[in-house]
This record gives sequence, structure tokens and C-alpha cells, in this order.
Amino acid sequence: MREAIVIALAAIGLAFTLSGAVGILRMPDVYSRIQCSSKTVTMGALPILIALVVAEGPVSSYGSRALLVAALLLILNPAASHALTRAAYKSDVPMWPGAVTDEPREQARSAGGNRAAGDTATGSGIAGDGRADGPAAP
Amino acid sequence: MTQVPMAPVLLAVAITEVAITVLLFIRLAAGPTISDRIVALNTMSTQAALAVLFFAAFAGRTIYLDISLWLASFSYLGAIVWSRYLERELL
Repeated sequence: MREAIVIALAAIGLAFTLSGAVGILRMPDVYSRIQCSSKTVTMGALPILIALVVAEGPVSSYGSRALLVAALLLILNPAASHALTRAAYKSDVPMWPGAVTDEPREQARSAGGNRAAGDTATGSGIAGDGRADGPAAP
Repeated sequence: MTQVPMAPVLLAVAITEVAITVLLFIRLAAGPTISDRIVALNTMSTQAALAVLFFAAFAGRTIYLDISLWLASFSYLGAIVWSRYLERELL
């Protein structure tokens, strides 16, 4: 019974990890690859660690270390993915041409339009944020 | 101790994680930008931490657990530091 639970959890985790790795290999741009990478941790690594906890028991040395690694991954992976996406966007990594929306660039464009029309209050407010000079601002 | 029937499962999980890591080497070698390489390296180090953890449970060596913990924590710290460098355009 315990073995069946361990094998089922490990199979789920390995299947999601493999699909995430294939996504990292085949997705068209950086942002989609970052999404696949964070899915690899959340749905792939956590069931594998829970499988180790079920196999060894939560108070054994292996199980307690597995729980600690799971907590670390749950905290650190969204932070690292967010910082990496933000850095990629700020360093002008191009998006896939079929991308649907790009909200910071649209906000910068509308802010520039307002400022050109004489609305200096909102224009300078958004431009002072530092985000207005987005990737493709000419 | 139920370690004897569990051991092949633990070893199989560790070997599969290493195979997935080898698969991710392609993206690490052929990534067009630095961000691609950082993503691949981040995922690879997570899989390596899991593989070391499962190999420690398979071989019964508690000293490998610290390596796994180190990999899981400091690889993300490295990713955050790299992305700060990218953001300030120092890379």
C-alpha cells in the first residue's frame, strides 16, 4: 500500500518534470520557458518530495530534510522566477512575435501620449516611476 | 525497516532526474540569451538536488543530505543575484 502511494506520487512528479523540461526545450521565448520552469518545481518537485516523506516517514532524517527542501522550494522558486522575468524584460529580451499583450509597454505608450497632449501631472507621475522607459521606447 | 523493497524505486527516481538534467543541457548550451541559460541552470540544479536527496535515501548516507539542501537553497540565491546583475546591465 505504502509502496503504491510512493510509486504513484513519484510517477506524477516525474511526468510533470519531464513535461516541464520538454517545455523549456521547445517553448518559443524566455517568458514561456520561465513559466515551464516554475511548473517543474511546483507540480514536479513537490510530489517527488512528498513521495520521499511517505517512503521514509516524516520524522526520519531523510523525510525531515525532504520537508525542509520542499518549504525552501515553495518560498524561493516564485521569487527567483519573478526576479528573472523582470530582469529579462528590463534587459530587452524580445517576446515571441505571436504574443498577445505587453502591458508595461502599453502603459508607457499611453503615458507618453498624455504627456504629449499636455497632461503633465499623470505623465510625470508615471515617468518618474522608472518603468515608463520600457523595452522598445524609441 | 522497509528500506529493502523501496530501494529500487528511490534509485529509479534518482536516475530519471539525472536523465532530465541531461536533457536540459541542450537548452543550457543553445540558449539564445543569458536569461535562457539561467532558467535552464536553475531547473537543472533543482533536479540535481532531488537526485542527490533520493540517492542519499537509496544508499543510506545522511551526509549527502547537506549537499541537497545547499543545492536547493543557494542555486535560487544565485539566480536572484544573476537577475539583479542583468537588470542593472552589468552582465
